[in-house]
Amino acid sequence: MREAIQYDFDAVVVGSGITGGWAAKELTEKGLKVLVLERGRDLQHGKGYRGEHAPDWKVPYHGKKPREFYEEEYPMANRVYAFSEATRQYWLNEKQNPYVVDKQDPFMWIRGNTVGGRSLLWGRQVYRWSEMDFRANERDGHGIPWPVGYDDIAPWYSHVEKFIGVNGKAEGLPQLPDGEFQKPMPWMALERTIQRRLQKKAPDITLTNARVAVLTEDLPGRSACHYCGPCHRGCSTGSYFSSQASTLPAARATGNMTLKSNTLVERLQYDAETGRIASIHVVDTETRERQSFSARMFFLCASTVASTQILMQSTSEQFPQGLANRSGALGHYLMDHTLGMSGMGLFYDDMDSYYYGNRPTGLYVPRFRNLEGEDENLDFLRGYNYQTATLRMDWQTSFNTKGFGADLKNSLRKPGPWLFALAGFTECLPRESNRMYLSKKLDRFGLPQVAFDMRWSDNEVKLRQDAAQQATRILRAAGAVFTMGEENISPETMSLPGEGIHEMGTARMGNDPAQAVLNKWNQAHDVPNLFVTDGSFMTSASCVNPSLTYMAFTARACDYAATQLAAGQL
Amino acid sequence: MNRREFMQCAVIMISGASAAQLGFALSPEQETYLATAPDYIAGELNFLTPAQRNLVAAMAEVVIPRTETPGAIDAGVPRFIELMAGDWFNDQERAIFVAGLADIETRIPVDYGKPFHLLEASLQLEIMQDLEAQAKDSAWYDFANVQRQFISDAPFICQVKELTIWGFFTSEVGAREVLRYEPMPMRFDGDIPLGPDESTWAGPSF
Ligand SMILES: Cc1cc2nc3c(=O)[nH]c(=O)nc-3n(C[C@H](O)[C@H](O)[C@H](O)COP(=O)(O)OP(=O)(O)OC[C@H]3O[C@@H](n4cnc5c(N)ncnc54)[C@H](O)[C@@H]3O)c2cc1C
Ligand code: SF4
Repeated sequence: MREAIQYDFDAVVVGSGITGGWAAKELTEKGLKVLVLERGRDLQHGKGYRGEHAPDWKVPYHGKKPREFYEEEYPMANRVYAFSEATRQYWLNEKQNPYVVDKQDPFMWIRGNTVGGRSLLWGRQVYRWSEMDFRANERDGHGIPWPVGYDDIAPWYSHVEKFIGVNGKAEGLPQLPDGEFQKPMPWMALERTIQRRLQKKAPDITLTNARVAVLTEDLPGRSACHYCGPCHRGCSTGSYFSSQASTLPAARATGNMTLKSNTLVERLQYDAETGRIASIHVVDTETRERQSFSARMFFLCASTVASTQILMQSTSEQFPQGLANRSGALGHYLMDHTLGMSGMGLFYDDMDSYYYGNRPTGLYVPRFRNLEGEDENLDFLRGYNYQTATLRMDWQTSFNTKGFGADLKNSLRKPGPWLFALAGFTECLPRESNRMYLSKKLDRFGLPQVAFDMRWSDNEVKLRQDAAQQATRILRAAGAVFTMGEENISPETMSLPGEGIHEMGTARMGNDPAQAVLNKWNQAHDVPNLFVTDGSFMTSASCVNPSLTYMAFTARACDYAATQLAAGQL
Repeated sequence: MNRREFMQCAVIMISGASAAQLGFALSPEQETYLATAPDYIAGELNFLTPAQRNLVAAMAEVVIPRTETPGAIDAGVPRFIELMAGDWFNDQERAIFVAGLADIETRIPVDYGKPFHLLEASLQLEIMQDLEAQAKDSAWYDFANVQRQFISDAPFICQVKELTIWGFFTSEVGAREVLRYEPMPMRFDGDIPLGPDESTWAGPSF
């Protein structure tokens, strides 16, 4: 009977960020007619990157923050390192698009404002999950078991890595599987010195190249990095992965994609007769015109929280608690990584060596705690990693020196000693009480504002404390003459929930429909033609940056959905 | 270094963001391609009197004088200071700045017989050193006072120093002729020799 219906599109994809771009590419390349709906405004690759390559003297206030303005309109986003006037166009205005911020326990919800979503802004760090990560819930009893293991997803990691372009170094570590790597970026002399010392004095620590979605070798239509930095202003050579540079052009090239910007999705319309989603309802963010589209299947890629918001707004007689929410898990098990500087050391080694060019990443220390069969006596579960940064002190770190005149000028213009820092990212346990929900407050489109209820647990606190202690040990072994560590660690001093910008969960996957929203194919247990492939599906958090995993699951879900569609199963 | 300051320093390091790209406000007209926009210091000046302009220029030049390389005036720092004091300071900071100017404008001619900008270099330096000695307990001088929110109650002399140093090393002249500037490195080499007299890279590098 369904065959008789005229559909506007084969598939609708909501969002054009990291996961939406992937869904658009994969589905269009399989020959499906795809409509991509994006609330943000249009932004062209290259032409749209207004801040790219701008020197400091072109910039209002030479880079000092206009403080009142930012606090008023971007109170959360302006806390992120990548926020500036050269990138402000990429961030959602929080005054115009508010969510409910609890004064006591604020959640930092960082959202994009354009086609491409946060793919333009991200830090490009990409790490595979290991089997240890996929087994973590099963092993320690937090959350529900993953319905997927490393072997299921490994080919999809490869598929994604080859397309986005990842540079890195193979290390053969079971806790951090190697991927399809382009040649790694060179190291600084001090980093080599530190590595040599660690090999002797802290042999349990691996210092390796960060794995980064930045090209060191050309790919079709994209060229190797020219080391201009900073990346988050946009990269017209497409040297780092963004939707604009990579997935959207591929989708466009098929001729099968229709992309509508300034189009906010309000809800999905469930058809009780067919047991499927029949149509999707949108509002034009400029004209406020409302419209709907029909399709055979629907992919939510609006990002964690935003996709769940759409499901919660899509209530019906059959789904009074939110679409596809028979499990009651929708909105719950929200996670994020805590982040912060675990330790920093001062070094006087390699003072006569300097660098040329701006390497758009630091190095990386893979997880080394609670590995399978090790660290049995630790009083916390799971683990953490460090992203590192190496920097030479200069006028920016010492401009408040006493004195005047030629001597001051001369001392400020020259490089000082080195700083080497370890920024810990810790895993977060899935807990039911950490959640998002719809408040009674409405926004300018008449839609409910999202509210959050999330706190760090004891385990996250202990992980951060351990990360700080271990950072000091590592920096001493590395030869720092002076070290400084994160101190007085408590939930009050830690990064805010959401500040890691690795928010995930709220529509978790699992084999049991009574406990999980999605099955192992990112397909809603309750609604066969509905897929959610952004970070909402995450059943646990690992400690590694998540976007590579979102991309791999998205590509895998698209493959499954297209096959099912062709077989008449959707 | 307290925790907050430490974290601010940390943010710079994790992100590889230069201080200068941590924030700046574009007017709607400037929301074009920034790299081809006019320099910030080309903006219209309307905050200081001609006498105050002489004073600010002289003070900036005491902080960063012309040597064998250009100094604050060559780099347009007086314009930068006037624009920042007029547009960027909040009311409290602007009041401190205006009072600081007024103090020098009235006190110096009485004590020395001439306005500040006409005094000999050694006297100018002495006056600035006195101001710094009086301000020495300000939090502005704390070790960790870098990469942070501006300290709103910083004394006048600290304001002058910060705006001069910031304006100078982020200016085109400062970046190209005193520091080193390479917007298109094309490669990364982590180990090049550094001579004892060589300068750091200008931002937005790190
Ligand atoms: C500064 C920064 C650094 C980061 N660094 C890293 C990193 O190094 N490694 C890493 O793995 N991750 C990193 N992240 C996180 C990463 O950006 C996200 O995990 C990733 O973008 C998520 O992809 P997504 O497709 O789910 O969401 P997004 O990329 O945010 O895209 C979602 C899109 O959906 C649109 N949308 C939302 N709601 C609606 C609606 N109702 N209707 C229509 N459209 C809608 C949005 O406008 C947006 O364009 C970083 C993020 C930031 C901001
Ligand atoms: S550093 Fe490389 S990836 Fe980053 S913006 Fe420049 S060219 Fe692009």
